[in-house]
Amino acid sequence: MQQKTKSNFWIIIVAAVLLEAISCVQYFTSRAAIREEAELRARTELRKAELEIEKHTIEMEAAAKTLVMLAQKHVDNPEYIYACTSSVVGAIEHTGSVAIAFVPDYFPQHGRYFEACSSRISKDSIYTRQIGSAEHDYTQLEWFQNGFVHDTCWWSEPYLDDSGSQTYVVSCSLPIRDENGNIVAVACVDLALDYLQKVSEYLQIYPKSHYSIVSNKGVEIVPKPDTISGRKYHIFDEEIDATGWYISIIIPEEVIFADLNRIGILVGVLMILGLGLLIFILWHSGRSLQRLEVANTQKQRMMNELEIAQTIQKAMLPKVFPPFADRLDLNIYGMVRPAKEIGGDLYDFYVRHDKLFFCVGDVSGKGVPASLVMATIRSLFRSITSHEEEAHVIVRMMNDTMAEQNDQNMFVTLFVGVLNLETGEMRYCNAGHNAPVLNGRMLPVIPNLPIGVMAGFAYESQKTMLRYNDMLFLYTDGLTEAEDTAKELFGEQRMLDILGAMHGERPRQIVEALEAGVADFVGKAEQSDDLTMLAIRYQTNAILMRNDIQQIPTLAEWIDGLRIPTELNMPINLALEEAVTNVMLYAYPGRNDGKVFVEYIEVNEPDGHKMIFTISDSGVPFDPTQSPEADITLSAEERAIGGLGIHLVRQLMDEISYEREEDKNILTLVKNL
Amino acid sequence: MTTTITESGNQLIAQFIGRLDTAAAVQTAEDVKPLMEAANREIILDCSRLEYISSSGLRIFLSIRKEAATHGSKVIVRDINADIRQVFMMTGFISLFEIQ
Repeated sequence: MQQKTKSNFWIIIVAAVLLEAISCVQYFTSRAAIREEAELRARTELRKAELEIEKHTIEMEAAAKTLVMLAQKHVDNPEYIYACTSSVVGAIEHTGSVAIAFVPDYFPQHGRYFEACSSRISKDSIYTRQIGSAEHDYTQLEWFQNGFVHDTCWWSEPYLDDSGSQTYVVSCSLPIRDENGNIVAVACVDLALDYLQKVSEYLQIYPKSHYSIVSNKGVEIVPKPDTISGRKYHIFDEEIDATGWYISIIIPEEVIFADLNRIGILVGVLMILGLGLLIFILWHSGRSLQRLEVANTQKQRMMNELEIAQTIQKAMLPKVFPPFADRLDLNIYGMVRPAKEIGGDLYDFYVRHDKLFFCVGDVSGKGVPASLVMATIRSLFRSITSHEEEAHVIVRMMNDTMAEQNDQNMFVTLFVGVLNLETGEMRYCNAGHNAPVLNGRMLPVIPNLPIGVMAGFAYESQKTMLRYNDMLFLYTDGLTEAEDTAKELFGEQRMLDILGAMHGERPRQIVEALEAGVADFVGKAEQSDDLTMLAIRYQTNAILMRNDIQQIPTLAEWIDGLRIPTELNMPINLALEEAVTNVMLYAYPGRNDGKVFVEYIEVNEPDGHKMIFTISDSGVPFDPTQSPEADITLSAEERAIGGLGIHLVRQLMDEISYEREEDKNILTLVKNL
Repeated sequence: MTTTITESGNQLIAQFIGRLDTAAAVQTAEDVKPLMEAANREIILDCSRLEYISSSGLRIFLSIRKEAATHGSKVIVRDINADIRQVFMMTGFISLFEIQ
């Protein structure tokens, strides 16, 4: 997990750096392009403005020259001069006013000063008068003095119109000569710079950009903005050749790059959103991974707990077989195979006061809930049977306890039996469970009700007598209702068939045969229910001896007790003695407290009537059937002293077989009758 | 199981009474020792009252037979019952002994 967080962290960092680098490159490239574009635009507009200004300048110069040419024709006629000024003002749209000022005393009848001046007052009205006077001594004015000495147009610096209109004006002066070439007057054309309003259209290239027009002597016709200091500007300027003015376009940086900055902010926001999304995705996937890990850990823990539960559950059931080493009258084998890790099936048995208490049960449902009920049932069975011997009372008490605390509506089918080992009387009570099989036939049972269904239900018990070598087989429906892949049930008949075929076998062999039969039948289908089997053989004819050859006479006595045909008495006796002696001598080296167990059953099967003897011990593994055959044709001198025992067994019995079962040697001897 | 040995001329007669099973064989092996030491005698194993014999008993018979042979004696088994005869047949002892 630590590793994962760390790698996520790096993914985010790398993505962020990459995005940042891309946007930086993009930003600066765009910025250069935008600046170039802005400059190109500014230069174009400056050219346009220059052309406009030049156009007006040329117009004014032409007007001034026209005026001089007109005036020179009748320079001695003041009335004509008035007509000249008036007509020129009328002809030129932008002319503010036009004046011709004569050298002092040129027209003595008009006084020392004479200056004819025409001004446009409105669109259709021109005002013409003589304005020269001692107060208005034009000879002292710059335009007059300069016009006097320059043969080409002389342009004044822009100045504010003295009429108070706050409009800048420039004046253009030219000398006027008489027929003799003497300068007699100066013509002056004033140009109102209001046309620069039109120029502003060109120069205002951004809504928030500025421009300025400054004369070459520093008169600010259009002043620079006051806010210019302290901010970053891009300034593009152009000198106008005709007038010597400087035009500047001043663009605040943020205005040029307004769009870029807007895009930059947008990109930034998108980048942050993208990173956020990336972080979210990584976090989310990390979390799902974490959740998966947590789920896996939990599952693992659960499996571990289930395994422990399984062990505990198995430990609750008797699992040492044969269970009662000293009881010759019982041979029991049981097994439970849960469909899941743990299940709700159980069997139990134990002996108290020469009575065998046993039960087989099936809790409704499977898995953990069933297993908890199963554990309860098992402890109830043990605690109640510790003081109660009547089968129906045992079941009734279990039922009442279960029904009382049955919030989950679980129920249990149960068969309880109490077998009196002295008399062979078996009392049993069936609480809705499958009927057991006694010697290959279904035991008649009253169904009653499963445990836990109804408190106070009056359970009835039944009884039967068990006899010599009777086999009682109990099971849960996991056996008869085992399903194959085609959903067909194993069924009672298959069970009875196997039980019939295994007649006379020991409980363990019977249970294992059925287990194999069911497994075979089910095939690849999943085990659908818990499977439990318990086989009890009552009054097994058996003898238990120590591995002391002085115990051999008790074997003969035991054989005498078996009601076997007289002619077989000696052969059986001899065969058993040889086999048992073998065990006594070789199974427990160096000790004589080892146990030797001999069981006898008689089997009547379609293929014949047989006597089966089973000799078992817990000694070192020893298979007497592997002993070499003794050669009985040798002479007395050649023959060895030993080796006759197993030879006799082979001679006397019809079948002899050995198996090692867990820690036991089991030798089976069969004699056909 | 009891074993009695009586001398009669050149004969040593051992009479076995009861069941010569593995448990009894321990004592019987002790009891028949005089037969092993006898030389140049005729040894009669009287089985008229022997009810049963196991391989341990047969081993004793074989030992006597082997010892007797080394000492130049001869062993005769007398009056075996049907069961024991059967055992002798099965083990080939029938051809090792002179049976009367």
